[in-house]
Amino acid sequence: MTKTFAGTAFVGVVTLALPLALSLSQLTIYILLGLAAMVTIGLSLLMGYAGQVSLGQASFYAIGGYAAALISVHGGPSLLGLLAAPVLAAAVALVVGVPILRLRGHQLAFATLALQLILLSVLSDASWAGGAIGLQGIPHLSVAGFELDQDLDYAYLTWAGVALTMVVAHNVVASRSGRGLRALATSETAAAASGVPVGRYRLLVFALSAGFAGLAGGIYAFYLGYLAPGSFPVLLSVQYVVMAVVGGLGTIWGGLLGAAAITLLVQLLTDLGTRPGMPSYAPSVLSYAVYATLLVLVVLFLPRGLAPALRGGWRWRRPDRAARTEPPDAPAPSLAGPSAAANEAA
Amino acid sequence: MSGRVVDVRKLTVRYGAAVALDEVDLHVEAGELVALIGPNGAGKSTLVNTLSGILKPAGGSVSVVGRLAHVPEGRQMFASLTVDDNLRLGAWRIRDRNTARVYELLPGLVRVRDNRAGLLSGGQQQMVALGRALMSRPQVLVIDEMSLGLAPLVVAELAAHLRALNSQDGLAVLLIEQNARLALELCSRAYVLEAGRVVAHGPSAQIAASPAVAAAYLGGGPG
Amino acid sequence: MSAFLQYLITGLGVGCGYALVGSGLVVIYRVTRVVNFAQGAFAVVAAMAVSTLLGAGLPHGLAEAFAVALAGLVGLLVGLVAIGKPGTSPQAALIVTLGIGIFAYAIEILIWGDQPRSFAGLPGSFTLLGARVQSHYLLIIAASVLVFLAMAVLFARTDVGRALTAAAANPYAARVVGINVTRMGLLSFALGGALGGLAGVLTTPVQQVTFDSDVVLVVSGFAAAILGNLTRPAFTLLGGLLLGVAQALVAGYLSTSYQTEVALLLMLTVMIVQAARRPTIQEEPA
Repeated sequence: MTKTFAGTAFVGVVTLALPLALSLSQLTIYILLGLAAMVTIGLSLLMGYAGQVSLGQASFYAIGGYAAALISVHGGPSLLGLLAAPVLAAAVALVVGVPILRLRGHQLAFATLALQLILLSVLSDASWAGGAIGLQGIPHLSVAGFELDQDLDYAYLTWAGVALTMVVAHNVVASRSGRGLRALATSETAAAASGVPVGRYRLLVFALSAGFAGLAGGIYAFYLGYLAPGSFPVLLSVQYVVMAVVGGLGTIWGGLLGAAAITLLVQLLTDLGTRPGMPSYAPSVLSYAVYATLLVLVVLFLPRGLAPALRGGWRWRRPDRAARTEPPDAPAPSLAGPSAAANEAA
Repeated sequence: MSGRVVDVRKLTVRYGAAVALDEVDLHVEAGELVALIGPNGAGKSTLVNTLSGILKPAGGSVSVVGRLAHVPEGRQMFASLTVDDNLRLGAWRIRDRNTARVYELLPGLVRVRDNRAGLLSGGQQQMVALGRALMSRPQVLVIDEMSLGLAPLVVAELAAHLRALNSQDGLAVLLIEQNARLALELCSRAYVLEAGRVVAHGPSAQIAASPAVAAAYLGGGPG
Repeated sequence: MSAFLQYLITGLGVGCGYALVGSGLVVIYRVTRVVNFAQGAFAVVAAMAVSTLLGAGLPHGLAEAFAVALAGLVGLLVGLVAIGKPGTSPQAALIVTLGIGIFAYAIEILIWGDQPRSFAGLPGSFTLLGARVQSHYLLIIAASVLVFLAMAVLFARTDVGRALTAAAANPYAARVVGINVTRMGLLSFALGGALGGLAGVLTTPVQQVTFDSDVVLVVSGFAAAILGNLTRPAFTLLGGLLLGVAQALVAGYLSTSYQTEVALLLMLTVMIVQAARRPTIQEEPA
């Protein structure tokens, strides 16, 4: 326990001090990495605990961003915008979650994808949202008279956002509801039989993950200063899934780790791809090829993702493959299927 | 050695770390009816799946002379397909998909040949499973838990079919049964499998007479 | 009236394309229980291949045939990665196919660039009751109907088709009778690839494709297939046609910008209605 605390504190201090040492372009990476981590932690919980694959998590990122942007562009206090971002995203999640969370596996994946496509289509057509061009000139965030107009400010805001996300996620997982959630991931039927309100918990995790993504979106809007539907393509949602899977589903550090790994990887590939002599399509080709390969390799050969592998700890099973003899409190979620032998015996 | 259609020597099969079969020796002679009895979880189905090629041995050897057909536990119908289609799929391993012979052997199937297998009664499904196995013209038939969930009359009819197939066609049968009484009546020789090991084997009468077996599997006491 | 007829026929044509993509999803799902996210990529790859082959001088018909065969091969490769490793669960395989779909972007951009492509289809147009429609739409409809009939015959009357159904219905029993279930799975992926490829080949003359067209295609294909719960080709055809016609009518009478929403909302409604009929808790496999 103290080892974990010491480790967490160490990471916290290092990441807090880091922005001071970074150049402007590196700060951008730091911020985007942090924002991605916030979304990914939520997604990782959703996929790991509620066993749902969401291919539309960027929707909530977008909703948060647009909420913050719209409020401040129309003269409202920017802080209100920032607070409204996660709230609105979570609210939307609650509303759409009720019908669609009853869908299983692949159906939910397509439903979330469909929702994102609908959202993007609506935003592109909506003049109040700026249409395809989007919203420009979003004012800087100002809190109690202090205006965040430096990249460094946003780096710290992002750090705070990530820290908040991790703390809330940790508390939820460690709480009584958290135990119910873990039971949910291991075996829905058993959980329901033990009195765990399955539907409600799934909805809770869904809304929570949306809230994290929404908050990240809000910060993003203020940092960037402009938003357009094109900033939130389906590929971004897929990227979050890759981050969550690579990092390790259902683990909070996995969300951060996965986001970091993929963000840095994409940055590296972009740098590689934009070297003189490289064709113009090189950055995208490299990125797609590399992180697609990474996703496939992780799913096939390292199904629990990087975080558990690095820690050498935790063993969970996916909800519908759980051996019902395992106590709910035990292992970490993964995409691992049944062992080959068990498969043969079936 | 010659005349054995199934020869299993020192067979060991594992599930991960657990040992399901531990150096099992078992054989079936041509034209023999052999029973394999034992409690749930003894490894009977594991043995059958290994004979059938679905599982691979971790040690020891399995040798089958001629073709072995497997009638799986629980009937395992292709529910959405007709009886006729189920039968034809039984001949997957050989060229000849002609079902006429099987309908002759099991005339009860003719009536239901165009019915969906999933809608049949348990007894009918068991007959389909048997017919499906016979389609591949096997020299030895391995039947896993034939009597499960079936009424005694139905079981008797199936047993009669097996006897006929054995005496007329020389079909060797390895009968895996929880219903030890049925198995020992039908078969001339028996093995008793417990926790992955053969704990007894010999002529059925001898096995049936053994007090330990009688107590564990035959409801205790003579008769 | 003529406008309506025009929308109807173009809608049916486009709908057939969706149905073909969806039928590929169905074939794969029935046998392997995997939802193939790369299904749209088959269509894109085939379409791109046709434009290249035509440019290289290959005649029509031959170019399309090659492209469909290529798509089948690509399908096989996808299958190998998705289900080739024993013990991969369907959920994991779904994510794998997602990854492969993205990997396909890299290949497509590398070979064909990132600009939209199209090629000529059946030339000419015809007039039906005052409605002027491109003849190519008839080709799409005719070809699709033929393919669906062929599939019905395949599954019901051929040994291989029965084996595919058997592998889907009861993998254990299939292994017992000697059917190689993995091989059947791979075959279904190859078939799914060819079906997706055919969809791309048929519809690109009237709807150009880019490397990222696969998302819309796979979502539309899924929308069509979900009507039959991903397991019934006949319903997939119906779903595709309904979708295509609904889209065409909305585009014609209201506005083209609502097309996507129509498809998506239809799909969501079908899924939610189907789900409402089932219990909340997922039944676990024994």
